[in-house]
Amino acid sequence: MNATAGQPVVEVHDLGVGYRNRPVLRHLDFSCHGGQFVSLLGPNGAGKTTLLRTLSRHLAPQAGGIRVQGRPLESLAALELARIMAVVLTDKIAPPLFTVFEFVALGRYPHTDYLGRLGSGDRVAVTSSLAAVHALDLAHRPFADLSDGEQQKVLMARALAQEPQVLLLDEPTIHLDLKHRVEVMAILRDLCRTKGITVIASLHDVDVAAKVSDRVALIRDGGLAAWGPPETVLSRQAVTDLYDFDKAEFNRHLGGIELRGAGDRGRAFVVGGMGSGALVYRMLTKRGFALATGVVHENDLDCFVARSLGAECVAVAPMEHINGAAADRAKELLAGCDLVVDCGFPVGPVNEANLALLQAALELGKTVLSLRGDLPPGLRPTGGQRYLACADAARLLEALETLTPRHAVPIHGEESPCTP
Amino acid sequence: MTTSELCLAETRPLLLRRPPLVFALLGLLTLAMMLINVAVGSVDFTPAEIWQALTGPRDASTTGFIIWNIRIPRAIAAVFGGAYLAASGLLLQIYFKNPIVGPYILGISSGATLMVSFVMLTSITVGWTLFTPFVSTLAAFAGAYGVMLIVLAIANRVKGGVTLLIVGLMMGYLCGAVSAILTAFAEKDRIKGFVLWQLGSFSGFKWDEIAILLIVGGAILLLLYLQSKPLNAFLLGEEYAASMGVDIRRFRLLILLCACALAGMITSMAGPVAFIGMAVPHMARLGFGTSDNRILIPGACLMGGLVASLCDLIARSVMAPVELPLSAITAFFGAPIVITLLLQRRVKL
Repeated sequence: MNATAGQPVVEVHDLGVGYRNRPVLRHLDFSCHGGQFVSLLGPNGAGKTTLLRTLSRHLAPQAGGIRVQGRPLESLAALELARIMAVVLTDKIAPPLFTVFEFVALGRYPHTDYLGRLGSGDRVAVTSSLAAVHALDLAHRPFADLSDGEQQKVLMARALAQEPQVLLLDEPTIHLDLKHRVEVMAILRDLCRTKGITVIASLHDVDVAAKVSDRVALIRDGGLAAWGPPETVLSRQAVTDLYDFDKAEFNRHLGGIELRGAGDRGRAFVVGGMGSGALVYRMLTKRGFALATGVVHENDLDCFVARSLGAECVAVAPMEHINGAAADRAKELLAGCDLVVDCGFPVGPVNEANLALLQAALELGKTVLSLRGDLPPGLRPTGGQRYLACADAARLLEALETLTPRHAVPIHGEESPCTP
Repeated sequence: MTTSELCLAETRPLLLRRPPLVFALLGLLTLAMMLINVAVGSVDFTPAEIWQALTGPRDASTTGFIIWNIRIPRAIAAVFGGAYLAASGLLLQIYFKNPIVGPYILGISSGATLMVSFVMLTSITVGWTLFTPFVSTLAAFAGAYGVMLIVLAIANRVKGGVTLLIVGLMMGYLCGAVSAILTAFAEKDRIKGFVLWQLGSFSGFKWDEIAILLIVGGAILLLLYLQSKPLNAFLLGEEYAASMGVDIRRFRLLILLCACALAGMITSMAGPVAFIGMAVPHMARLGFGTSDNRILIPGACLMGGLVASLCDLIARSVMAPVELPLSAITAFFGAPIVITLLLQRRVKL
């Protein structure tokens, strides 16, 4: 499917949506092409649902216009529109005494005769709709007995039975467990790719939206804050602004949200690099430590995670030997920290300076917690200095709890579960 | 696609595999109940006498008069009264997505009662002797529509089934209060007539009333059957129905007008008959094991006719010659059914 060529399936021009005395969104302009996955993102109450209800013609636009397949939305006959556009809403519905098959067959409404009798073509369409959502095995179960996730899939099958070109979904993954969340998103993406259906969905998970969408619409402050491919639109700043993040940050390289901690439990310097630090950063942040780290390379996973977590991060350009200036800066930061964690990074010619950093920490009398099995080459712990080797993350945690009980500034723990 | 070759068959519960057969069976039962209703009564006739009255020339004999002008109209009225009330209840339950609404609760009956109390208890209509036979019927009809419109106007402002039920109940109390005040001032013999009317009865139907009942009601039922496809879509809620191509505004109006016409017609002629409109749609749903209105509309009508005939038979014969109030009998049937359904959680509120 060529996502941009040809006539747009849904075009919105200077659209205003809202209720009688309450405009919700204004001056919306965008167009969706065949086979595109379009995500509407925004905080609760921003107007995503109102926009979807206007696109499905349940609400009249307050201004501007919507064109579907090049024709004004209001000019389409109800049945004609039903063959082009189908919806999946958030309302819980559980009509009694329907089997899944019968329920999905209701979606054949715009295709059946005046009594709604199913022909063989209709049965095939119902069956293939159920197959498309991986729910063939549910066909003969009563609809009301299904789990939330199964019901959501069946609701999607009902919409597909209309054989639409556009599928509108309001929060399709809300209330679902992780398995069904992933499954529903995968199904929707497949519908775009294999059937060329245009999917327009309001979503809560910005990380999921970034991964599946062809276009995202950021909806905020009564209008469209941004529109375009997620790769260009979903920047750190855009997401922070969209949701008013305070203690969190979206990182497009990591494709997820990092949660910052309170940072009120002392300051830890993490010597990491080569991806060894990412988990340790998150663990320390979660436990309330403020972070400083170094020296890492700019393209290192550790660098992305540390920055998203708000750590003070000493970094050098990719592939470069860690040089004197960076090492000095790191040593400076390290001197101001309460404890030092060695992530057990692999040592090579480019990052030998980090070993020197650990040595410096010991000489400064810092407690060094290490995830390394044995002493790194060249490190010389001398009397009175503390070098604690922890076998795994769990042991490291125990050591942290012992060394720095909550709200007590460190250090001087007499006993520790780690072997010196 | 491999799925195009693969196609699931519809599986349906036993009763549904042969709906015509089940309908025929229900129809035969109803017919049998009608015959029993014609045969049984406070005056005993031998089968030969009845047969002669039915087949022979219409003479002026007492037997012929009782059979043709009392029992047969009553038997027909019971069947169609039950059928229309059940259909009306079914429509209202779908419209409000609420399993315990019925014509009795939504103010249709209380509105009719209110207007009839004006006609029967006061002298407002004294001058209208020309129309006397129809005045109370017309008044009931107007009252049913009037109160239903008020309940709907309120229902449009407050969402939620329970609220609606309370509104309906309150309207019932208000109408009841007005009737009660009128009763306090009314003459004794008028009160008796009103109280009897209030208890509901299929007696006293005239042939021209039966004709109206059959023609108008039959037309409405046919119209409804043809609307069973949008009614099915409506089970998913308004927004889904609209997204599938149902013209919601026109359709809503149609459902309400039909429901009110059916229930209003019966209530104006027979008085308020409780519980049939609420309980029979549930019996039909569970009996047929489906929510498909193509099955339920005829199914509920047949069951309604059967149940109403049975209740009328019991009302007339259990304590004969004293006739028990019809609503008492239907309540004995209906209330336990509704309670059982709720307890079994087959019906969700």
